[in-house]
Amino acid sequence: MYFDVNGKKAFASTGGKPFDNSLPVVIFLHGSGLDHAFWGLHSRFFAFRGYAVLVPALPGHAHSEGPALTSIETMADWLNDIVESLDAKDISIVAHSQGCLTAIEFASRYPERLRSISLIASGLATPVNDALLDAADNDPDAAIDMMVGWGFGPVGHFHQGAIPGISMVAGGRKLMRRNAPNGLATDLRACNAYANGKQAAQAIACPVQVLVGGKDRMARSKASTELIEHLANPAVSHFPDCGHMIPIEAPNQCRSQLKDFIFLNNPTS
Amino acid sequence: MSHFHHFDTLALHAGQTVDGEFGARAAPIYQTTSYVFPDTDTASSIFNLERGGHAYSRITNPTVAVLEQRIAALEGGSAAVCTSSGMAATFCAITAILSQGDHIVASSQMYGGNISLMKNTLPRFGITASFFDPTDIESCRNAIQDNTKLIYGELIGNPGLDILDLEGIAKIGADNHIPFMVDATFNTPYLCRCFDYGANMTIHSVTKWMGGHGTAIGGVVVDGGNFDWGASDKYPTITDPYAPFSGINFLEEFGPSAFATRIRAEAMRDIGPCMAPMSAFLLLQGIETLSMRMDRHISNTMAMLEYLTNHDQVVWVNHPSLSTHSSYAMAKKYLPRGAGSIVSFGVKGGRDAGKAFIENTELASHLANVGDAKTLVIHPATTTHSRIDADALVAAGITEDMVRLSVGLEDVADIKADFENGFRAAQRIVGA
Repeated sequence: MYFDVNGKKAFASTGGKPFDNSLPVVIFLHGSGLDHAFWGLHSRFFAFRGYAVLVPALPGHAHSEGPALTSIETMADWLNDIVESLDAKDISIVAHSQGCLTAIEFASRYPERLRSISLIASGLATPVNDALLDAADNDPDAAIDMMVGWGFGPVGHFHQGAIPGISMVAGGRKLMRRNAPNGLATDLRACNAYANGKQAAQAIACPVQVLVGGKDRMARSKASTELIEHLANPAVSHFPDCGHMIPIEAPNQCRSQLKDFIFLNNPTS
Repeated sequence: MSHFHHFDTLALHAGQTVDGEFGARAAPIYQTTSYVFPDTDTASSIFNLERGGHAYSRITNPTVAVLEQRIAALEGGSAAVCTSSGMAATFCAITAILSQGDHIVASSQMYGGNISLMKNTLPRFGITASFFDPTDIESCRNAIQDNTKLIYGELIGNPGLDILDLEGIAKIGADNHIPFMVDATFNTPYLCRCFDYGANMTIHSVTKWMGGHGTAIGGVVVDGGNFDWGASDKYPTITDPYAPFSGINFLEEFGPSAFATRIRAEAMRDIGPCMAPMSAFLLLQGIETLSMRMDRHISNTMAMLEYLTNHDQVVWVNHPSLSTHSSYAMAKKYLPRGAGSIVSFGVKGGRDAGKAFIENTELASHLANVGDAKTLVIHPATTTHSRIDADALVAAGITEDMVRLSVGLEDVADIKADFENGFRAAQRIVGA
């Protein structure tokens, strides 16, 4: 569905059902250079299990009007603008990579409506190397190749996976090419600049779940360990064969973990 | 830097997860119609497209899925759907996005089945087509109408072998927000990956070079994932809710794989031209050696071109690798590894001499197929293109003396020796 946020047209998928703010809400947040389609199937699963689902594409991504937002803090505020305009209550956030930074920041700023957060493939910060930043500025296709190459574990690189007929690597490339020309570069700079992760994580009051990929080359084990150490009693799940793209590489196992956690902490009536 | 597996590695491994129970190294043949669900929630999730998985082999099958994901990987496509034949793939791909009142702009130089589908069958369902000269891309642009929803062509036209200007046609498609679908059967992804040049979907008869051994019929539609379906309201089957699956919006849920998923959700369910798992297994065996076979097809083709162009009994030889061919430059650009292994030539003495040639070759098999490991010959005017009218024959570049040769993998000296027998028989006709 389309809606206005601060005078700009924004798009969010709702999982195949109209958004109903009387239901508990699951919000899915995508990572750098991606969009709402990253969460296909997962969003639909919750929409057909009694939840109102919202999968926004960040400004400058897919069908949301640009420009892209330049800081994680701005993204958290933008998310809150959506939440308030839709009067969404009893919210569970499911976030991936950059989306996790936004979720952490959002939780520390706007804790009132939150019931749970699920953080997938993240640390407290996402430092981005100069080569990737430079490529994102000057050769976006090369930057996309770097991210897709690093992002997927062996399952992705061998085009295996649980969804018959789908190639994760090629699909990932095509998904990332749908952004506005500077969308990826702006996302990466926002990640690189974010420095409030430690304080924001410590301020989170709701239950938190962390999903860690054993072969993640973008949020390495040291980063996820640091995140876990700064959260209060998180539920941690390890996916030893996965890279950074856990929701795509192991969708069924990922969804099983999300389901158990969200059903417990933000139940439908 | 990131590392991606290369073509030959993907041809062997892509799409297959080694069987966890017995460790089978080859892709197992899942010869089953249906699959036991662990619980009702999983079952309903699969049926409602909330998760991947297998319910019924008309829709998906684990062996077929390996082939689909392998071909998607080799093509650089976001997704693939295998079908019972190449023609089934074409029909499913077209009807996934076109409906009554819509229009196709298609190359005039295509396999007779493609032409008949668009000229005779689809019009019965309200889908019409106009044909353009593949050597003149402006004729493609000029053929576009307000209701045109698809541009269709074969990269290597059958049987005239003219090469489609992929980038030129793709630009026309992009300018008019119309997807460009390429039948890539003759080139395979080893000789050209059409998505690299702007095509939006490819079709293959995997019966041919992809499988390569003449043992199984099959087709595939590959979604390039690079067409912006949401940029207009022209493609409601992709962008609007689809009632039979609880109002699913394929573009929202599947993004770059929306087109392929629409085919699986609608065509495979409502029409049902599924690939048999045994066929998928046979085709996978062929794909494992695709690059090596294609290299040999090409080297044998080049040797046969030299032989035929210097033969007294041959009136003309047609292949895009010959500098005399009108598509020579296009072939260099799009097919640098070789412009396929189909050669057409005219036998001195016309129709009867051509017939005598074909009937007196023994190694080369006279049959209606191409892309086999074995060398094949046929007379198009009386076989593959016999059901199209005289004007279409001319448009397709077919003459009565034409012999179509599909160069195989035999020792090329033996192919030449066999052809000598054929030419001697043809010469007796000329001399009679």
